[in-house]
Amino acid sequence: MIRKNYIYILACTCVLVLFSCKHGEGEYHGVIEKINAEGKNYHGTSISSEQYIEGIKTIEITEDGHTFLIPERKGQIRSYACTECHSKPLEDMQSKGIKEAHWDIKIVHANENAMNCVTCHNPNNMDQLKSLTGKDIDFNKSYNLCNQCHSKQFEDWKGGAHGKRIGGWAPPRASMTCVNCHNPHKPHFESRWPSRFNTQTELERK
Amino acid sequence: MSSNNKKWFSLNLGGRNKESSGSCGCGKTSGGCGSGSKPNTIDSDGYQMTDDEFAEAAINASIGEERKKDGFEQVFDVKMDRRTAFKKLTASLLIGAGAVSTSCSVIGSDEGKEKAQIDWEEQFKGNYKMMSDEEKKATVERLTRSYELRTGKNITMSSKNAEEDVLFGYAFNISKCQGYMDCVNACVEENNQDRDSEMQYIRIHEMKDGQGFNFNEADDNYYHEVPAEGHFYMGTQCFHCDNPPCVEVCPVQATWREDDGLVVVDYDWCVGCRYCMAACPYDGRRFNWSKPEVPEKEVNHNQHYLGNRMRKKGVMEKCTFCVQRSRSGKNPACVEACPTGARIFGNLLDPKSTIRWVLENKKVFRLKEDLGTEPKFWYFMD
Repeated sequence: MIRKNYIYILACTCVLVLFSCKHGEGEYHGVIEKINAEGKNYHGTSISSEQYIEGIKTIEITEDGHTFLIPERKGQIRSYACTECHSKPLEDMQSKGIKEAHWDIKIVHANENAMNCVTCHNPNNMDQLKSLTGKDIDFNKSYNLCNQCHSKQFEDWKGGAHGKRIGGWAPPRASMTCVNCHNPHKPHFESRWPSRFNTQTELERK
Repeated sequence: MSSNNKKWFSLNLGGRNKESSGSCGCGKTSGGCGSGSKPNTIDSDGYQMTDDEFAEAAINASIGEERKKDGFEQVFDVKMDRRTAFKKLTASLLIGAGAVSTSCSVIGSDEGKEKAQIDWEEQFKGNYKMMSDEEKKATVERLTRSYELRTGKNITMSSKNAEEDVLFGYAFNISKCQGYMDCVNACVEENNQDRDSEMQYIRIHEMKDGQGFNFNEADDNYYHEVPAEGHFYMGTQCFHCDNPPCVEVCPVQATWREDDGLVVVDYDWCVGCRYCMAACPYDGRRFNWSKPEVPEKEVNHNQHYLGNRMRKKGVMEKCTFCVQRSRSGKNPACVEACPTGARIFGNLLDPKSTIRWVLENKKVFRLKEDLGTEPKFWYFMD
């Protein structure tokens, strides 16, 4: 009889010990554990960001298993297609008497040894970009030009750690492409003054 | 007093009868809401307590019991000193008297009557956390109508609940932030924060390279060209902890964690004790020392009850990951405003989301991780 009681008490203690970890905030020890457990049976949500990208013309790309939308580029370039002006070989266009163009573009990207205009542009085919090995790259997929050197940024961009989402957080994913944030001829961010200064905080801390 | 199953008193001046259900819509957030128990009905003579009843209620009442109470009883049937009791009774009486005088007055306008009715129902409404969906809708309707009556302007206010299979998370890239503070501006405009006291939820800390996260040496109110030589920038705001200490300390349960992970405040239930402000290890909470003022033309009219609706004097507020935006699929205003892409937001439960990719592939860390608060706000570097 006493033995039976002992077993009973032991069993109760075991059960108590088992459940004692599951305190207060519910079933998980940490948020990572919670994410892994609750994310296992993820069926998607009814929330969609589609309505916020309706006004933007996008193209779908798949890179390394990541499929997402990026803004279409050719329609955003002011005077695409380039061949509308570039009807003659470049040497002829550079001769005097013809209206000058692109005088405002200064390359502030890498140094002169590494890059000049024809590193990316093909003088014989202005409507396409040119890879380092001379292959054509479509203007809509200009990220393929950037990722020849910036492979680390490319990895992060594909996953979503580099760059910016368009629309919202919910699927379908639409992300800015390189040239939406960086001017390809001058890709760095300018230094500038902060857009805010808190005068109240300044007063409080005097 | 009209229907019996209502959670607060209503004078029913206009003869309108609103249905309300007794079920609870709070979901499975911490603590349990006592949704299983029947809602307490209130007798018509309930608020004219005798001294004995009051004393008994005062002795018996505890936080544990308070969880099961709602509406009127949450206000009165709790431990309180005489001063508080008198204060509450006076406030209620004033509103009641106002309501009666306006409604009974022959010369009083219909609008006045409606205003009084709304004020009365708002005074005695329950905790938002415990409201059923119908009750949430009703209070949101009252608040929109009240705003319209007061200002003549229309707002849209949502009471959208947390979606299933959503847990919001945030990542901040400290090698990308340049300290422009565009996020702060966007946040203030989006969330109708007080312009007089220049309240801001987000702080951007300018830190010296090589000193680590030294908040004592950091400056969060710089004004010079950025990024400054030899400095890096990191932003802090409410981290929406999964084990939020601010929620634990709230004596009236005016703040809680929603199912999608957002830690929110019911501004109408908050008593302004600021315990949560003291409990937060990240300085995530703000207090309205004065009546928040936002110029009418700058008011963001797209609001959520738990988010950017207009606050009043003496209540807490904080970042809600822009609940009015995030629950409808948009990014919070700070994420959208950031020109460098340093801010990433998304659903932690979606294995294909970008935020999950960041957590799984970048070297992430959180602030004061050893406290066990489990913030859902990660930092990482390129």
